[in-house]
Formats: sequence, C-alpha cells, structure tokens
Amino acid sequence: MSNWLNHHLQAIKLVLSRMRSNLLSSFMICLVIGVALCLPSLFYLGVDNLSKLTDHMQNETEISLFLKLNASADTIAEIDALLAKNPAIKQYHLVTKDEAWKQLQAKSKDNQDVSDAINQLGKNPLPDAFFIQAKSANPETLEALRNTLQNIPGVEQAILNAEWAKRLATLLSIGKKLIFFIAALLTIVLLVIIGNTVRMQILTQKDEIEVSYLIGATNSFIRTPFLYAGVFYGLFGSALAILMIAGMIQTFNYSVLEISRLYNGDFSLTLFNASLFLTVIGVAVGIGWIGSYFAVTRAINVVKIN
Amino acid sequence: MIQFDQVTKRYPGSDEILKNISFSIDAGEFVFITGHSGAGKSTLLKLIAATERPTSGTVLIANQNVSKLKPSAIPYLRRRFGLIFQDHKLLYDRNCFENVILPLRINGVAEQEAAKRVRAALDKVGLLNKERAMPITLSGGEQQRLAIARAVVSRPSILLADEPTGNLDASYAAEIMSIFYSFNQVGVTVIMSTHDALGMSANQNRVLHLNQGKLTESSLDQTGLNQNTLPTETFSS
Repeated sequence: MSNWLNHHLQAIKLVLSRMRSNLLSSFMICLVIGVALCLPSLFYLGVDNLSKLTDHMQNETEISLFLKLNASADTIAEIDALLAKNPAIKQYHLVTKDEAWKQLQAKSKDNQDVSDAINQLGKNPLPDAFFIQAKSANPETLEALRNTLQNIPGVEQAILNAEWAKRLATLLSIGKKLIFFIAALLTIVLLVIIGNTVRMQILTQKDEIEVSYLIGATNSFIRTPFLYAGVFYGLFGSALAILMIAGMIQTFNYSVLEISRLYNGDFSLTLFNASLFLTVIGVAVGIGWIGSYFAVTRAINVVKIN
Repeated sequence: MIQFDQVTKRYPGSDEILKNISFSIDAGEFVFITGHSGAGKSTLLKLIAATERPTSGTVLIANQNVSKLKPSAIPYLRRRFGLIFQDHKLLYDRNCFENVILPLRINGVAEQEAAKRVRAALDKVGLLNKERAMPITLSGGEQQRLAIARAVVSRPSILLADEPTGNLDASYAAEIMSIFYSFNQVGVTVIMSTHDALGMSANQNRVLHLNQGKLTESSLDQTGLNQNTLPTETFSS
C-alpha cells in the first residue's frame, strides 16, 4: 500500500516538475484545452439561459379572451363566474370596452396620425376582454385551456400570446442538439491534442523508458506518470476554461442587467454554475486520462520493439 | 543459476547469431564472454537478461524458462540482474543521485531507505562526493562507475556487463575491473563481455569464447592472458 502510494506520489512529483520546467509549452497546451472546453460550455450557457428566459416569459403569457361586441353585462358576469371556477386559471382581470377605448386614446395621444384615425372612427370598435394568466406554463395545457375558453358562449376569440415563446423553445431544443454534436466533435479534438502531447513527451523521455524497461520496470510503472500528465492537462485546462467562462459571464452580465432593467426584469446569468463547472472538470480529466492512455500504450509498444 | 540448452538465436533476415549453444553458470561465478565484435556477445547477454528470446532451445534463469514466461513476469525476472552497458545508458537530464535511485523507485523502495542505499552504492564506486553532479560533467570512467552504482543499488544477485571497459583507457579500465572483482568476492555472479583480454587479471576466470556464433570455453589464468581466444574445450556440437 505504501509502495503503491509512494509510486503515485513520485509520478505526480515528476509530472509537475516536468510541467514546471516547460512552463510555457505546458501553459499553451492547457490554454488550447481550455478554449476547446469553453466553446461548448458557452454555447450551453447561452441556450440554457435563453430557455430559462423563455420559461420566465411563458410564465407571464396571457390568454386574451375577447368577447362578442354585443356582449351584455349578464354575459360578462356569467363568463366571470366560469373563469373564477376554472382550476387552471391563476388570475384574470376584465378590461371593459370603455376602459380599453380610453387606454387606446391615451396611448395614441402623442401620435397625431393614429389619434386622428381613432377620432374618425366615431364609435368605440373595441370589445370587452378578459386577460387571463394560467397556472401552468406548459404549451399544451395552455392550448387546451385556450380551446376551452374559446368554446364559452359569448366569446368571440381566445388568443394565446405565447406563440413566439413556443417557437423559441423549439429553436432552443435544436440548439441543445447542436451542443451535443459540438461537444462530441471537440471531445475528439481534445483526445487528439492530449494524445499527441503525451506522445511527444514519451518521445523525449524515450531513453528513460528504455532504461527503465531494462532494469525491470513494469508497464504500469512507465505508464503512470504519463497518465497523470494527461489528467493534469485536463485539470489545468478545465480550470482555465472555467476562468474564461466566468470572465465572459461577468462581462455579459453588465449588458444583460441593462437590458433586463429596460424590460423591468431582474434577469441575470448565474456566475457560478456548479454543475456545469464540475461537468467541465470531469470531462476534461476523463478525456486527459483516455487520450494519454491510448498514446502511452501505443508508444510503449514502439519503444519496446526498438 | 543460468542454464542455456541448445540455444539458437536468429534475427529476422539474418544468419544465426548464436548456434546451438549450451552452458551453465553457477551462483558466485565470474565469467567472461569474449569474441570479436559481431560474434554474438551482446546477443548472449540479451538472452540472459530476457530482453531477447531464443529462436530455439531453452534459457533457464533461476529455474525459470524465459521463453515460457508471461510478458508481465519479465520485469520481475529482470530485477534479479544489474545491467551495465558499454554506452552507460545514463539519463543525462538528472543528477547522479537521481540516476542511481531509478531501480529503487521501480522496486518501490521507500524514499528514505532508497536514499541510504543510493549513497552506499555511490560510496562503493567512489562517487559519493558527486551525488549532485550531472552525469555529463563526469569523465568516462566516472560515468561507467555511476552506471555500476545504478546496477548494484538494488542488490542484484547477477551483474551483466556488456563491454564495460570498451571505451576506457587502461587505468580507468583497471579501476572498473577491481570494482567488479570486489562485488564478485561478496558473492555476486558477474558475467562480462569483452572483446579483448584487457582487465582480465589475477584470478582464475572462466571464459566463454564466441566465434561465429559457436561457443568454446577456456579457463583463464595468469599465463593464459594472451591465449584466451584459444579454445580448450568445445561445448557446442
């Protein structure tokens, strides 16, 4: 056990001292790995935050229920009662045709053309309307609710305002698939980069490997330091990636907060996405290990034959 | 301890380097392997060290048939040997201490114990004061002594030396030879290849002479120094 521990400690010390003596090139490799990890992570963050944002907005989606123009006060009261009983509805409010008319006139006050046009109408063309917020943000549930409301007698039209959010959600699901493919491609790239780096190192350490074999080193003794090298490249590379991602999120947040404020929201990107960061580290370390394992196994056979 | 039985070695695309060779070496012997360059001395040593396998015949090391060993068992067999090469095979990217400690690291010796043994080995070859020096700064003789320190630090029972004095002038060579004799005196089996009789001194030594892949054996004494290439007994058939 202590032998085993000693062997691994020795290997780690050796790898770290080799990295220190080639500080610049080690840093470059870690940087390449970091950038490669950054790309899918940023893409993921983008899609993830956008989908959170659309959830956020879908929560605020309303169903606008326009009543027939000739709807009487009784009809309105009946519908009001129906809405109050419907369990799928969170809250609703009524805007009568007069209120709507006043709002329209108030809004168009600044625009001469529109207010002229409105004035020319002479009478109020607007219907009474209920604005309804549902409890669920699920597009299908919303659609079902809309259909129910549409069929209430006295209702002219029920409009779901979430159509664009639905489209965006669909686009985002395509984005999520894209992330998967980008990540897969970059995994291959990383495997090649780390594998090649370790292979180059093995070539520079060829003498040592040869001598070690001659004096009785086992394959695992030779392999261990290189496996640690791969793991450390992954580790340091992912640390750089996390720094870069955090830096970019921070810069984005300034603008996002600005925009968010304009829309009276308080939406911002989370700086420390622990699950993403852990995934990045885990994936990088795993790729480092696998890449160097293949490189070292191949190179060992070459050295042995010579 | 070491037993060759009708061993033939042929590399792909070449003639037979060793032809039907049989001999055995007991523990504690000091054996020279002589012959012209290309006679198969290095190949013979490689077969003993299990870096090569015989084309036919059997090589027994400590009653283990090398040809039948699993690849994973070979490293452990090799740890019985201390190997010394004509070109030293030192690692020039680290100091003397780090060179000598390598076999102990491979054997998994704890660091403190290893450091003690490294210093003892360096002391034996007279390089204790060069512990922190880089091998490249050492003279040829010192480099070879360093290589010997590396070979003996794990206390192997057999020392295999491939022309250890080949590149050295006479005074250095004598120094190296006396180190080998001192190890032999404490019971280490020494097998040494050499292309000349230089350094084969004093004691009565057994000589395995290779000529065109065939083995002849002679015993070397003081008077036989210049005749060691003459066969007195033919072992191969």
